[in-house]
Amino acid sequence: MAATVEEISFDRAAALTLADLRRARRKRRTAQLDMAEAFYRVYITAIVLGIAVWLLSGVVGDQRLGASAVAKVASRGPQVVGAVIGAGFAVGLRSGGRGGPLVVEAAEVRHVLLSPVTRVVALRRPALRQLRFGAAVGVGGGALAGLLAYRRLPGGFPAWIACGALVGGIALPAGLGLAMLVSGRRLGRVIGGVLAAAVVGWSAADLVARTSTSPATFLGDVALWPLRFRVAGLLGVGLGAVVAAAGLMVVGGISIEAAERRASLVGQIRFAATLRDLRTVVVLRRQLAQEQPRQRPWFRMPRSIAYPLVPPPRDATPGTERGWRRRHLPLWRRGWHGIARFPGVRFLRMALLGAVAGACTVGAYRGTTPLFLVAGGALYVAALDAVEPLAQEVDHPDRWDSYAVERGVLLLRQIGPSIVLMVLVAGVGVLTAVVVAGGNILAAQIGAVMLVPAALAGAAGATISVVQGAPAAFSSTDSLLPPEAAGARAIGRIIIPPAVAVVGVAPVLAARSPSHLAGPAGAAGSVVAPVLLVVALVALWIRYRDAGRAWFKAAMDEAGATRKASAAGGAGHSGRTPGQ
Amino acid sequence: MVTGRAAPPAPDRAPDPAALATKGLTKAYGDLVALEPIDLVIPDGQRLVLVGHNGSGKTTLLRMAAGLLEPSDGSVEVFGSPAGSDDARAVLSYLPDSPVLYDDLSVLEHIEYTCRLHDAEGWEDRAVGLLTDLHLTERADDLPSRFSRGLRQKTAIVLALIRPFGLLLVDEPFVGLDPPGREAFVELMDDAADAGATIVVATHQLEYVAKADRCVALRDGAVVYDGPPGQVDVLSLVG
Repeated sequence: MAATVEEISFDRAAALTLADLRRARRKRRTAQLDMAEAFYRVYITAIVLGIAVWLLSGVVGDQRLGASAVAKVASRGPQVVGAVIGAGFAVGLRSGGRGGPLVVEAAEVRHVLLSPVTRVVALRRPALRQLRFGAAVGVGGGALAGLLAYRRLPGGFPAWIACGALVGGIALPAGLGLAMLVSGRRLGRVIGGVLAAAVVGWSAADLVARTSTSPATFLGDVALWPLRFRVAGLLGVGLGAVVAAAGLMVVGGISIEAAERRASLVGQIRFAATLRDLRTVVVLRRQLAQEQPRQRPWFRMPRSIAYPLVPPPRDATPGTERGWRRRHLPLWRRGWHGIARFPGVRFLRMALLGAVAGACTVGAYRGTTPLFLVAGGALYVAALDAVEPLAQEVDHPDRWDSYAVERGVLLLRQIGPSIVLMVLVAGVGVLTAVVVAGGNILAAQIGAVMLVPAALAGAAGATISVVQGAPAAFSSTDSLLPPEAAGARAIGRIIIPPAVAVVGVAPVLAARSPSHLAGPAGAAGSVVAPVLLVVALVALWIRYRDAGRAWFKAAMDEAGATRKASAAGGAGHSGRTPGQ
Repeated sequence: MVTGRAAPPAPDRAPDPAALATKGLTKAYGDLVALEPIDLVIPDGQRLVLVGHNGSGKTTLLRMAAGLLEPSDGSVEVFGSPAGSDDARAVLSYLPDSPVLYDDLSVLEHIEYTCRLHDAEGWEDRAVGLLTDLHLTERADDLPSRFSRGLRQKTAIVLALIRPFGLLLVDEPFVGLDPPGREAFVELMDDAADAGATIVVATHQLEYVAKADRCVALRDGAVVYDGPPGQVDVLSLVG
């Protein structure tokens, strides 16, 4: 139905009002902006970006590829780049299914989206801003990728930079446009998920069949234009621009319910991230994805799991031991109860992360060393899901506080089921590695060696993250440390948990340097003991952390009391002196 | 003395349809049913009070009528237009239980932009009256982000009443208000009702129930009473 003249004039007036409102807010924010703080942020960002570029340059190297390698990159490159872009599109489609990608402020939802202003008028500008920002990030990232490619591949410097920037500048807005299309048309989570799977599948099919049929692969063609011009790339660029524009046109159809939920949760996630509170970020992200525990568990625990066989206690009275017997272990059972209620998508995510870890391990073994960091990171993220039963107990400490058992002991007892789950995740990784390596028996051997250490290290890293919790607003320990040491401690809190998980994947690097006596699997096995030592140290930290803190606090209290007493003694002494 | 009570002119609307009509309106979150299928017709000009214990579905019903929640099933119409549509938003004013305000706009700026977004005319005089009634005049240029809960609630009340509306939905309005603020707000709602607006209030405040023309009690997402407020023991309904 065509809009009436009144509606059009009202929309124009509303657009002007919205522009005024946003201008007034911008003006106030600018007035409140601390320029020194802003410059400091720019300075820090520039340093971080510089370090990232330097590291990436080091990883890529600058040795020119030979002719055969260049030919291989030219023929397979578009599919590989297309697979990465396809994965990005899938993320956008999934986000759209949950009401993304727009994040509208809660006040904007209440005052603007509940006003009679047409929603497309109200949302067009924020959507355009998001697309613009996406394009800028894409251009920057793409240009950087082009720069790195130029260091090793033939072709002109401007051509690589321009093509990279073009692909990034189209792919990111296209991904955002896809998300807006799904949310604006309210296709929902299921259809969004199916579309995401279809897009990934299409790109994967191109990769496997070495064809160029999906729009993502077309954009991959553009990325490799400096090596070989393929006209299909133009189609990719055109489609990307059309998708971004179409998303902008339908953005007014987004669900207000989803917009309000996102407004609240994304604000909290940003706040938790600034506090470096990873656990809260994880929990809020699950709420954003509407990832709820299942009402009915996936499985009822078999008796063999619920009541495991345990050896007789060491302190049993002589003559009363009756050998191994089934025993009720409440924490063990509690862990399995929690896992049995994991939503399906969480199991799927963990399996995918396991697969990513496995594939990256193969890449690391074949020479791309930094991929072992990705593998360890994937296991760490999977473990953050796996240790959810433990995290629930840490989030609700009252129950454990009422037990006459030390918290460290309870933590270690609780972690068992999560470790079993992580072994399964690592098993998925081993299977993936074997498949990626083309069924190579060596991959299976190295995988078998790495399976348990990698699972244990992943679980250990995630457990540290959960147990240490969010940094305290005021820490008596930090207040005693010099600023440099307190800063290092803060960085350590962030880095150590994933670093422990990465250590679990280290055997794959050792496998690259087999000795005469031991093959690659043996070389990997030689590093297992240090990995297990790290895990044991983590276990000791978990077990005695509270005791150590209590000891430190008592020591500090005692020192404080001594200081006060000596000060009081000194004051009393000096008080008598004048009279003498 | 309370001044500036003149309710804003209601926007043009069809005379026949009910102010609010639900048909089989349902809300479920997975297995959890927040609101059973509800058929409710609220005629234009009626003053209705919604009562029920925590979790009975009052807020869910109001938020679906305001267009903030999408029904799992059934429909809800505001003066004949689907809830959440442009026409419905033009005639419906929703005052939530927790005020949501911009951090970087003053009270006056909130008022100005709200009125401009709703195409309200002659709002300046009404703004002066409302600010005076709610004792906010001296804080008009301040940022609500620095206000107490009660002052933020008063700001939200001003924003709900300053714009044109034919249907006012109010969710637990008295929380955080001091006694003079409560009294002023009740009088402002009386004025709006006298000017012909339909008012739906969800509350635990039993003294307000007697002022209503009709009482609807919800329990576990279902209507357990619908009739005049004086004929039932409201306390037993609230549970």
